Amino acid sequence: MPRLISGALRLRRDPRILKLPPYLSLLCILVGAVWLFLLPLQEYSRRTYISENALLPGQVHTYFGGSDQHVFRAYKHEVNALAGKTNIEINTELESIAKGLGLKVSRQNFTYTSAGHVYTGENLYAILQAPRGDATEAIVLVAAWKNAKGELNRNGVPLLFTLARYFKRWSLWSKDIIFLVTPDSIAGPQAWVDAYHDAHDSARVDSLPLKSGALQGAIAIDYAQESRFESVHIVYDGINGQLPNLDLINSINNIAGGQMGMGVALQEMWRHNDQYPDRLRTMLRGMLKQGLGLASGPHSSFIPYHVDAVTLQPFGEGWQDEMAMGRVVEGTFRSLNNLLEHLHQSFFFYLLMQRERFVSIGTYLPSAMLVAANFTIMAIALWIKSGQRERGDDKQDKDGKAEGEGEAEGKEAGKEVGEPSSASVAVEREIFLPLGFVTACQFLAFLPLYLFNHAPDSLLTPLFTIFAILNTLLPHVISSFLTAYYTPTTQQYQLTKSFSLLLLGMFLSSLATLNFSLSLLVGLLASPLTFMRPWPSSPAMRIACTVLLNAIAPTAVLVASAAYWQVGVGEVLREAAFAWDVYGMYSPVVVWCVWWPAWVAGSVIVLGRPAEGRGKVKTA
Amino acid sequence: MNGGKATLGRTAGLYLGAAVLRLALFTLFPGLPDLLTGRVEISTPVTSFKRLQEGLFLYNHNVSPYDGGVYHQAPLLLPLFALLPSFAALPVFTYLLYIAVDLLSAHALFQIAESGEPGASALYTSPRRDKRWSGFVIAALFLFSPFTIATCIGRPTSVFTACAILHAVVKAISGAPVGAMVALSFAAYLSMYPLLLLPPLLLLSYDRQLPGRATKSLAQFAATNIGVVASVLGMLFSMSFLITGSWEFLPSTYGVQLTLSDLAPNVGLWWYFFVEMFDSFRSFFLAVFWLHLSAYVGALTVRIRRQPLVVLTLLLGIFAIFKPYPSISDMSLFLATVSLYRHVFPLMRYTFLVASIIMYTTFLGPAFYHLWIYAGSGNANFFYAITLVWGLGLSLLVCDLTFAVLRDEWEVERPEMVGKEIRQI
Repeated sequence: MPRLISGALRLRRDPRILKLPPYLSLLCILVGAVWLFLLPLQEYSRRTYISENALLPGQVHTYFGGSDQHVFRAYKHEVNALAGKTNIEINTELESIAKGLGLKVSRQNFTYTSAGHVYTGENLYAILQAPRGDATEAIVLVAAWKNAKGELNRNGVPLLFTLARYFKRWSLWSKDIIFLVTPDSIAGPQAWVDAYHDAHDSARVDSLPLKSGALQGAIAIDYAQESRFESVHIVYDGINGQLPNLDLINSINNIAGGQMGMGVALQEMWRHNDQYPDRLRTMLRGMLKQGLGLASGPHSSFIPYHVDAVTLQPFGEGWQDEMAMGRVVEGTFRSLNNLLEHLHQSFFFYLLMQRERFVSIGTYLPSAMLVAANFTIMAIALWIKSGQRERGDDKQDKDGKAEGEGEAEGKEAGKEVGEPSSASVAVEREIFLPLGFVTACQFLAFLPLYLFNHAPDSLLTPLFTIFAILNTLLPHVISSFLTAYYTPTTQQYQLTKSFSLLLLGMFLSSLATLNFSLSLLVGLLASPLTFMRPWPSSPAMRIACTVLLNAIAPTAVLVASAAYWQVGVGEVLREAAFAWDVYGMYSPVVVWCVWWPAWVAGSVIVLGRPAEGRGKVKTA
Repeated sequence: MNGGKATLGRTAGLYLGAAVLRLALFTLFPGLPDLLTGRVEISTPVTSFKRLQEGLFLYNHNVSPYDGGVYHQAPLLLPLFALLPSFAALPVFTYLLYIAVDLLSAHALFQIAESGEPGASALYTSPRRDKRWSGFVIAALFLFSPFTIATCIGRPTSVFTACAILHAVVKAISGAPVGAMVALSFAAYLSMYPLLLLPPLLLLSYDRQLPGRATKSLAQFAATNIGVVASVLGMLFSMSFLITGSWEFLPSTYGVQLTLSDLAPNVGLWWYFFVEMFDSFRSFFLAVFWLHLSAYVGALTVRIRRQPLVVLTLLLGIFAIFKPYPSISDMSLFLATVSLYRHVFPLMRYTFLVASIIMYTTFLGPAFYHLWIYAGSGNANFFYAITLVWGLGLSLLVCDLTFAVLRDEWEVERPEMVGKEIRQI
């Protein structure tokens, strides 16, 4: 054992070992990226299955249909007549319908302000008390008056009331059923769920006068299509990349696909042939949505409260009618009604690549962790490197010894200097400048975060343009300032990079447990930062690196992605500010407080002109 | 140092800056104090400010504060907080109290650093002692450490204990053994575990007695001072008895620490262990855990006899890991005392590793707690795994500091070994 340890110690001192980390980092990034592309293969993904036995999806006969068709037409007629009226008028009418069904009805006002806009509205909800329950648990059926695209939910709202009338007749419910109609798809549900859990700001959102038990699940109907449909699209992305329990999606899949014989689509993949390219596309779309963390429908707001929820969207031209859609909801509610406890058996972290194939966290997490680890590896390597003398110093050391002189540095490094194995001896590190610089970058990051979340809509685009220009100039300014006033040494540049990468690695690995996709996205975009170093003698490399860094700057990426989806940058920023103000999306925090400081540090390092030789410690 | 007046002004500026920062955090982010008070990393069942409010409410309504089993803190805190204007109406007085306690602790650290005790105790002078941080830097490191700030905003009562411990050390160094003992008794009264610091503190005050009225015999000195501690504690207990009207407070405060009856999660290692344990083994393992915690006291006191302040520092580190209800306030106290040993930092080998572990766990801990409690997608093992890593990081720091201090002593004993590699087996 001692021999092994001393062997390891000798290996540690081998200069070749310090050459390794950059390659190791590169390997981590490559493996992390390749790993992702292996996931859709048959061997790496798994078939979905129902974990929670109590769900029994598709085991009950559904009776919705027949005369309910007439009821539906009647409600649809009434709802269509309301199109174009104000929120209050609509709710007054809907309230009378719900009251006519014998449900307890209540309303809730909300007002949100974001980027200079005011979003206001009134939610309407009705509670069907469970004949066999004690009002300790509830399931929610949501239909937004307007869906996420702003279309009138012309079949969804009547279907909700038809189902309410139908459910009222059954005596088998053991959980209360709440029917919720919101004026829009994002702010309304958010206000309602916040107030339901008493987590609302009562200045902006009214408290709920009427409540039921703990929410066990929620289904949102987004049925704006006029004609008959072919398949149903399950939208499952929650806020900040949180996902509903996989059992819920599997149950709906089972009921819609198996029992009702309709198609099921995910992530807007209207046609899916279950081959590698389609699986990969589904997975990447899912990851992108997860990474952005935006709300994708009325269900999104429920998920942060640990209420599993999905939105069901019929699509395509087929022979399925509204009743079939109602039966899917009925079947799902019957399954949820069976639950003895909250959905917990199945996965909360998964990537779906086809309606029946998924990978779970254990399989995909390594890829994000490897990407995050590459930063940490480099940070540790740089720390060790910064503690060792450079070769030039070594020579100086020997010269000094030959002349029999004690040298200034020898004193600082303690008494160890003068030993034969001086390469292994730690040099005193000057950590204050690097530490201060990295901390300052980190604090500076709150400026863009605050700016873009609080600026009014009209100013967003000009502000962003100014910021992008300043952002390009900032590293040059900081670099010349540092060179002029502090003349940082190579060691200090190494330490700056080490600290900056350490922080980045730390944030990203923590983030990977919360939002895998965001962590991986930012990690991949920031991966070139691992390989940035000062180029004092090669202006060509310096310019090349600066150009590369500017191409992957957070601002540049934002502009590029806005251009790719053909929306204005102002629009993207407004959406982000809305998401931040209304439902607390934290992606801007990650961009500005994790990625941006690391980028600034990396850009300054590339521009650095380290002082000749190793800086001497000035004070003891 | 560099001119008494300039230093004084600079230090006053530092304290003012720290106070303003805290006050700004309290007032500009009104949600922050409550948020931090609710964090398990900051508030433990025996220090939580929320529970103190509960106890205070009961106390103000002439009900025993220990009714209901929520309040587990010392009874004398109640009249102190009852004297302050109501927290609900005028929270600023509570804020000011906590800020003042932080500043007092920082000033104690300042005095300890300026006394030179860390580098040169009565029996041992480190050859490296010139390379140290001034009291200003130590106080600044303590006051602006994120852990201290978070603790101050979260308002656990452990800050009073920390302040008392630091003042006990200051008194001991300045040759006032009775003052040290009184301060330690207060700390022990508030949190019990500081009583374990008595042996090294006795030695420290014994070494640092004023030449005029020194007691030669260590046994006599120890007996006198233990008597002082006992009588002060007795007095505090009887005052508590008078206030609450019964001895109920003893099982409710110290009993809870001894038997770990409240299993709320915290950054320590006990709660998970005792959640999982069968009841029949509980008492045995309680004894083992407490024995383990107290076993370090004797060993370290004997081994590092020449530097009692080192023993105190190491013990604070060990308590921050192995106490029944540790929190990040213990950790901030330990880090502050570690910074007094700047002169042995070059001998430490895992500083980067320790710093990285502490930073990683600081972020991963809340993330995993969120997954467990709020997102519901993780479970208790997630958080416990991180507290294990946290404990590992801190124990590495304790080990490393022990190593560095012993190596420093060893190089004085064996000058021919200076700079030689050692091999640990």
